[in-house]
Amino acid sequence: MPSIKDNIVSQKEDAVVIKVENISKKFSRSLKKSMIYGITDITKNIFGQSSNSDKLRKGEFWAVNDVSFELKKGECLGIIGPNGAGKTTLLSMLNGIYMPDKGKISLYGKTGALIAVGAGFHPMLTGRENIYINGAILGMSKEEIDEKFETIIEFADIGDFLDMPVKNYSSGMFVRLGFSVAVHCEPDILLIDEILSVGDLRFRYKCARKMQQILSKTSIVFVSHNLRRISRICDRVLLLNEGAIVCEGPPDIVIAEYMNQFMDLEVAQNDVLIKTAIEGIKGFDAYLVTENGRKTRELEFGKSFSLNIFIKSEKTFSDVVIVASIITSEGILATIINSDGSEFKEIKVGENWIKCQVIDPRLNPNNYKIRMKLETRLGTALLRSDLGYFRVKHGKKKNKEIKASIYSEKVTWDVL
Amino acid sequence: MVSQNKLLCYITKPVVRLMDEHKPTIYEPDRSIKQGYIALWKEIFRDMKESSWLIRQLFLRDFKAQYSQSLLGFFWAFIIPLATLGTFIVLRSSGIFTGGDIMVPYVIYALLGLTFWQLFAMGIIQSTNSLVSAGSMIRKINFPRESLVFASFGNAIFSFLLQMIIVFILFGVYGFIPHWKFVVFPLMAIPLLLLTCGLGFIFSIINGVIRDLGRLLTLGLTFILFITPIAYERPDTGFVSMLAGINPLYYLSVAPRDIALTGTLSHPLGYFISCSISILVFFFCWIIFHLTETRIAERI
Repeated sequence: MPSIKDNIVSQKEDAVVIKVENISKKFSRSLKKSMIYGITDITKNIFGQSSNSDKLRKGEFWAVNDVSFELKKGECLGIIGPNGAGKTTLLSMLNGIYMPDKGKISLYGKTGALIAVGAGFHPMLTGRENIYINGAILGMSKEEIDEKFETIIEFADIGDFLDMPVKNYSSGMFVRLGFSVAVHCEPDILLIDEILSVGDLRFRYKCARKMQQILSKTSIVFVSHNLRRISRICDRVLLLNEGAIVCEGPPDIVIAEYMNQFMDLEVAQNDVLIKTAIEGIKGFDAYLVTENGRKTRELEFGKSFSLNIFIKSEKTFSDVVIVASIITSEGILATIINSDGSEFKEIKVGENWIKCQVIDPRLNPNNYKIRMKLETRLGTALLRSDLGYFRVKHGKKKNKEIKASIYSEKVTWDVL
Repeated sequence: MVSQNKLLCYITKPVVRLMDEHKPTIYEPDRSIKQGYIALWKEIFRDMKESSWLIRQLFLRDFKAQYSQSLLGFFWAFIIPLATLGTFIVLRSSGIFTGGDIMVPYVIYALLGLTFWQLFAMGIIQSTNSLVSAGSMIRKINFPRESLVFASFGNAIFSFLLQMIIVFILFGVYGFIPHWKFVVFPLMAIPLLLLTCGLGFIFSIINGVIRDLGRLLTLGLTFILFITPIAYERPDTGFVSMLAGINPLYYLSVAPRDIALTGTLSHPLGYFISCSISILVFFFCWIIFHLTETRIAERI
């Protein structure tokens, strides 16, 4: 039943809840220097002087450098990047734990964080006592906790352990209780740092469902290394490296960029062959081609495609087999294609072009990379190309995911 | 399947509070300077009001945890001050010092003074360590850090109240009737508490940055107690007498006893100055604490 109120809300959908303008944060490499700088800054502030925090002093570096973004109401922003990229520092600044040294953060609404669940739990006290204390630390009032108490313990599902000191809890129970308290704060802005993969299977399922609920009414900033979850939950993704934004955009594009940039560095450095046990192979390349003959890195789910392979050789090899393993971004083998028993059997001197057509691909929407091997009687060569990652996206029609099975692809091999 | 769920939630979206009602929370460098001191105090008192329930919870947490795995439980709150009292009684009875002209049994005399000293000593040690011992919390959760310092006084105040009970028991045992002005005795703890709290603010931060302070303090307090004439009569001349003359702790600890025993202050000027200093120290240190608490998280 749409009411006037709903209309107002939908009009406000565009309201900005987080506005980050050119923020930077510096850290000191040495603890002793940090101590001295800290004392100087504090003294300056007390006497009403600016601490000139926008300049680097000796031994300092920018952990976050000139980052700007906005988050609208109800949006979910993912932050990805390699370790030490500044993700957690950025989140801590949004949470008000660190002050930015440059720039400005404006937050509209109550901010909550799922960062370290269970921080503030006292091991000697019972679960019940800790719920109240933790709730208070997270900014809940007594009435609020009283009201939500039942839901909190129900969600944590710790049963008789409620009145036992939390030091007797298993680590899973500890986190469950912490998560349960934190998640019931119901903030307008929620900051999440890589904690959703806690607890047993049952609890993870519960968390995922709770997240869906939260997603609908909260703006979220989500830091994670789990790219699959990022692409499911987030509307937009920021890629950070060395404290600065590398790119920003829709999840799939940014994730693909991330993988191409950071997960396949070795390939970028050696664009032809990394390791070869066979002498005579001089050049190699591979790329994906769509049904209508375009070179691509993006395939549509269920549509056939081909893998074009180029090999330059100084010798002739007979009885050769090419094996291509397609691996998901999580490192799981999705399928293997091999040329054994096909028309392609030998490599001639000079340039060889081989076309491998996959007619009924069973690759679910995800990001993949291809590892190729050339097997001959003389040995095996690992073939690497700068193909990098490619993506399989949903087709226009909603497709059910297919249960992939290895060796299930229908493939033809042709020598061109 | 997942995206369908997302869609469903979108349709059944509940009415949410509108953001425009709130003033934004802003984080930027040197914000306090841009805001000015008046806005700063407003912020301090608002934080304070909002966190009174948090302070109570933090105190209860430490209090319960402290005694939960102990056989004697909160009797420890009696035992420690009584041990200090015992030390002085032994020292006196073995003739190491002789009290001057005191008109009550020495036990009562010493306890009345030491009660206040203990309030200071316990308070300052616990508040100095309050930030460091909550380190992981400070690094992960954003909440008013003042509450940690305030909550750390709970134990000292509890112990103070217990000692008041002992004072009454001793009055009964010795048949001593205090001056009627004794009723203000507990209220006279307030200036001392303000001073302790102010110092606690500063010490907790210094201890957060330089850990040496916590150790130094435990050592120093015993020394200060012995050179401050609280459990013995102030000598007329000499180093100790001179030090006591400029030590607000001396006036603040001794004045309540004067009231209890005689109904008058032996050093009204000293007491008045000490009270003023306490109030100034409290507010000055509080604002410093508030200004610096955001810099503390990255260093604790």
